[in-house]
Amino acid sequence: MAGKVVAMSKKKASRGGSQRFSGNGAAAATTKWVGQPIRRKEENRLVSGKGIFVDDEKMPGMLHIRFVRSSYAHAKITRIDVSKAEKFPGVVCTLTGAEIKRQVQPFIEIGPGGAQKIADYPLAADKVVFQGEPVAAVVAETRLAAEDAAELVEVDYRPLPPVVTAEDALKDESILHPAMGTNQKTFKQAAHVVRIGRLHFHRFSSTPLECNVILATWDPRSGDIEYHCNNTFPSFASQFLAPALGVRIDQIHMKSFDIGGGFGIKITSYPYMAVCALASRKAGGRAVKWVETRIEHMQASAHGNERTFLDTRVALDKTGVILAIDSKHVDDCGAFPRYEPLGCVIWAQVLPATYRVKNVRIDMHQVVTNKCPVGPNRGYSRMQHLWFMERVIDICGQALGIPADEMRRRNYIRKNEMPYKTPNGCVYDSGDYASMLAMAKKLVGWDEWKKKQAAARKEGRWIGLGIGSTLDSGTNNFGQARIINPDAPFSGQSKVGIVKLDIYGEVVVSMGSVPQGQGHETTAAQVVADALNITPALVNVRPGFDTAHNAYTGHTGTYASQFAVTGLTAIHGAAMKLRKELSRLAAWKLQAKEQDLEFGVGGQGPEVRVKGRQKAINYWALANLVNVNNAGMPESLWDITLNCRHVFHANFQIPDVKRKYGNLTLTYAAQVHAAVVEVDRETFQPKILTYACVDDCGKAVNPLIVEGQVHGAAAHGIGAALLEDCAYDADGNLLTATFSDYTPITAMNIPDLMYGHMESPSPFTLNGAKGMGEGGAAPVHTICAALQDALYPSGVIIDDSHNTGDSLFRAVQKAESGGYAGMVRVEHRRASR
Amino acid sequence: MEIKLAGDFTVEKTPEEVYSFLVDPSRFCPLLPDFQSMEIVDAKNFLVRVKVGISHIRGTAAVKMTLVEEQPTKQAAYEGQGEIPGGSTTLRAHFQLEDVPGGHTRVIWSGQSSVLGHIISLSGGLLEPLGKKNVQKLIDGLQKALA
Repeated sequence: MAGKVVAMSKKKASRGGSQRFSGNGAAAATTKWVGQPIRRKEENRLVSGKGIFVDDEKMPGMLHIRFVRSSYAHAKITRIDVSKAEKFPGVVCTLTGAEIKRQVQPFIEIGPGGAQKIADYPLAADKVVFQGEPVAAVVAETRLAAEDAAELVEVDYRPLPPVVTAEDALKDESILHPAMGTNQKTFKQAAHVVRIGRLHFHRFSSTPLECNVILATWDPRSGDIEYHCNNTFPSFASQFLAPALGVRIDQIHMKSFDIGGGFGIKITSYPYMAVCALASRKAGGRAVKWVETRIEHMQASAHGNERTFLDTRVALDKTGVILAIDSKHVDDCGAFPRYEPLGCVIWAQVLPATYRVKNVRIDMHQVVTNKCPVGPNRGYSRMQHLWFMERVIDICGQALGIPADEMRRRNYIRKNEMPYKTPNGCVYDSGDYASMLAMAKKLVGWDEWKKKQAAARKEGRWIGLGIGSTLDSGTNNFGQARIINPDAPFSGQSKVGIVKLDIYGEVVVSMGSVPQGQGHETTAAQVVADALNITPALVNVRPGFDTAHNAYTGHTGTYASQFAVTGLTAIHGAAMKLRKELSRLAAWKLQAKEQDLEFGVGGQGPEVRVKGRQKAINYWALANLVNVNNAGMPESLWDITLNCRHVFHANFQIPDVKRKYGNLTLTYAAQVHAAVVEVDRETFQPKILTYACVDDCGKAVNPLIVEGQVHGAAAHGIGAALLEDCAYDADGNLLTATFSDYTPITAMNIPDLMYGHMESPSPFTLNGAKGMGEGGAAPVHTICAALQDALYPSGVIIDDSHNTGDSLFRAVQKAESGGYAGMVRVEHRRASR
Repeated sequence: MEIKLAGDFTVEKTPEEVYSFLVDPSRFCPLLPDFQSMEIVDAKNFLVRVKVGISHIRGTAAVKMTLVEEQPTKQAAYEGQGEIPGGSTTLRAHFQLEDVPGGHTRVIWSGQSSVLGHIISLSGGLLEPLGKKNVQKLIDGLQKALA
C-alpha cells in the first residue's frame, strides 16, 4: 500500500543484540531468529495453490448436504414433509429436527439458571427462533441434487411475534447478570457529572474468504467420527459434540489443514458438525460434505455481539479526569447463547479501558432475540466495551471543552504505573499509551490537520480528527466463565507443543493451535531455531491441526490473541526438553560433559559438538542412536525419546465469583489509532483522508507478521465502522445477507494505512511477547471520534458505531430538529477534588 | 417486510352479487396477478400457484389460501401463506361491502402482506413497488370482473 510510514525506532534497537529467554525454568538460548522479520514459511505453499482446504478433499462415495432453512424469525413449525425430496433422483436421505431430537441430547449451555433450560438442537424441531435456522437437511450424491431436492421440502409455519431489539427483549426480564456495587459517593464529590443517552454498538460479522466447511464420516464399524473441518476451536467443539451425539470424546477425530480466515466466527460451527455426522450415520457411514454458501454464512453462522448502552453517568474532577462511570449495558446475543455468556464477562478484561478510572459500575444484561446467534468475533466482547469507553471520553471531552488528545493524556494509565491492577483485579502487564498517542499524532500529522481543519470549517467543510485507544487482551483465563456461571467446570489456560527428532534427524514441530493465516508455522520455526541454534528452514512445522498427530488440551484452538504467548511458550518448552535430551545423548556418545557441548549447524546439518574441538555428532546420528541403533545404550538414557511434549500453563487463579474480581487475562497489547475524516456536504458520505495505526504487542516475534496482523485488524475495523452492518427489519429479516448490501472491506475500499510500532515487553511472558491480531476494533472508535469532531459544531452526537452517508444525513437532520437535545447533559458542581 | 394497502371502489352490482363473487375461489383467484393454477382443498381452503419474478429471481409461488371470514353481503376475508423463491410470504385481504342506492356496491378493501427470507436482502428495494403494482392489478381485475 502506498503512503505507508513505519516508525521503527524502538524496533531497530531491539533487533540489534541478542536477548535471553527467561521463564519456564528451561535452559537459556539466544534469540537470533525471534524478532526477525523473516518471510512466512507457509506463503509459498498457499500462493502456489498447494494449500489444503476442506473443500479440496474428495472422498470415495462422498455425499453432499443441503440445509432447509426458516424464512421466519420466530414461528412454530406445524408440519414438515420431506417425501417429495426423498424421491428426487440422487437423494440418499433426509433429516428433520424431530428425527434428530430423538437421536441426540441438546448441546450443553454455559449460562447459569434459566439459560441451562435452553434446548439447543442442531436442527429446529418445534419452533424456529431466527431467520436462517436450519429445520431439515437433504443428503444427496451431488451438491446440485441436494440443493434442488431441498426446495421440495415442505414446511408449514405458524408465525409468532419476533423480538428484534435488545430493549424489547429486556421487557421479558431475561436478565443474566445482576448489578454490581455503587458509586454514589464519588458522584456526590464530582466537579462535573455528564449524563449520556442511548449509545448503540451495531451487529456485524467477520467475512472470511472461506465459509464454514465440514466433511464428516461416522464409521459404522468403530463408531468413530472423523471430521475434516475448519472449526478453529476443535477441543471446544468436541466437548459440545460428544455428549450431544452420545460418543466418547476420543471417538471424535478432528483435523484441519489450511483455513481461509476465521476471526472467531468459526468456533460455533458445531451444530452443523453434528448434523453432518448424523447424516453420515444415516447414509451408512459415507462421508458427507457441507460447504456453506455466503448467504448461509451471513444469515445463520454467527454474528458479533450487538450492545446497547443506557443511562450512562460519568463523574469527572475539575480537570476532566474521570472518577467514576455508571451505566447499564444490554448485550443482544441473538437466538441462542451458545458460546455465550462468555461475552457477558470477557469485556471485563478491559473494564477501565486504557484509563485510570477506579470506579466503574456496569449493570450488565444479556438478552436473546430472534436474530442469528452471536459468536466470538475479532475483538470479541471487549471492542463493544472499549467503544463505549472511547465514546465516553470524547463526549465528556467535548462537553467540557477539552481536546480529544488532551482528554486522553489526562486519563491514560501511566507507563510507570505498570503492571497496573484494574478495579476488578485484572493486571495490565505493560504499556505506554501516551507515547503511542504521540506517535500516532505524529504519523497522521495531527497539528497540521488541526490548522487545515480550522481553515476548512470556514469554507463550510466537515472535517474531523479522531483518536481510538484500545486494548487487545490475550491469553484468557477461562475461570472468568464462573463469574457468570459459578458451576462452569473450566478455568485457566493451557497449550501443548511437541518438538521431535524424526528417525532421520529432521526437526518436526506439532502445534497445539489451529492456524488460519496468523503465520504460526513461521513463528514456531523461529522459536525452535533459536532453542536449537539452527535456522528456521531446518524446522519442519506440521501445518494445521490433527487430534491424531498433535497434542492438545481442552483449551486447544486459536482464539483470544494468545499464540505468541501460549503456543510459542509450549513449543519453546518442548524444544528445550529436546535440547536437553540431545545434550545427554551427545555427551555420552562424544564422551564429553554436557556443559562443554554447543548446538549449531555443521557440514552435515544440525549437530551437537564439543566446544573448541573437532568432535561433533549430527541430528541424523543422534536420532539413529535412539530409534534404530540403540544396542549398547546405557540404561540411564533409555527414557530419551527425542519426542518431547510441553504443556504451557498460565499462572491464573479462579476469580472471586462473589466480588467478580480476579485476573482474567495475561497480556494486554495496545493500539492507538488516529484519523482524519471528511463528511461530504452534498452526499454526507464519510471519507478517510488519512489514517495511522500504532501497535504495541510487546516483543514482536516476527515484525512482518505483526504488521500484517495490524493491517488486517485495521481493515476489519474500518469495514465495521463504515460499511458492514447486519441490519434486521422489524420482522426479523436480515436485510444484508449478501455482499451487495453488507459490503465487506477489501483491498479495493481500504484507505492507505500508516503504521507505527512500539515495544513494551510483557514481564509475564517467555520473551516479552503479547498475543495480538484482534486489534480491539480501534478503527470503529477512531472513525466515530473523527465523525463526532466533524459534526459536533452542527449539533450531532455520534451515538452508533456504524455510520454511513445515509445515517449521517439523518443525524444532521435530527440535529437540525433538536433531536439530540438531552442526549448529553452536564451538571457542573463545586469541585471537591 | 410488510406492505399494507387499502382503498375502495364502487361497482354496478348488488352486494349479493359481489359477495358471491368474492367467496368463490374459482372466480376470485384467477384475478391474482400471474395466476397459473389452483387446487381446491375444501370449501374454505385452496392452493394457488402464481408466477413470481423479481429481477433475476424467477419461479412459482404456492400459496395456501383460506377463506377466514364470511359474512354474507357484508364482508369476506382471505388469509394466505406460501413459499416463494428465497423466502416466504403471508397475506391477508379483507373486503367490506356497502350497499349503495341504485343497485350498486361500494367495496372497501385492505391488503396486508409480509415477505420474509433472504429474498428481502436480494430484492428488498424492488419488492414494495412490485407488491403495490400487483395489488393494484388485482383490484383493477376485480373491478373489471364485477363491471
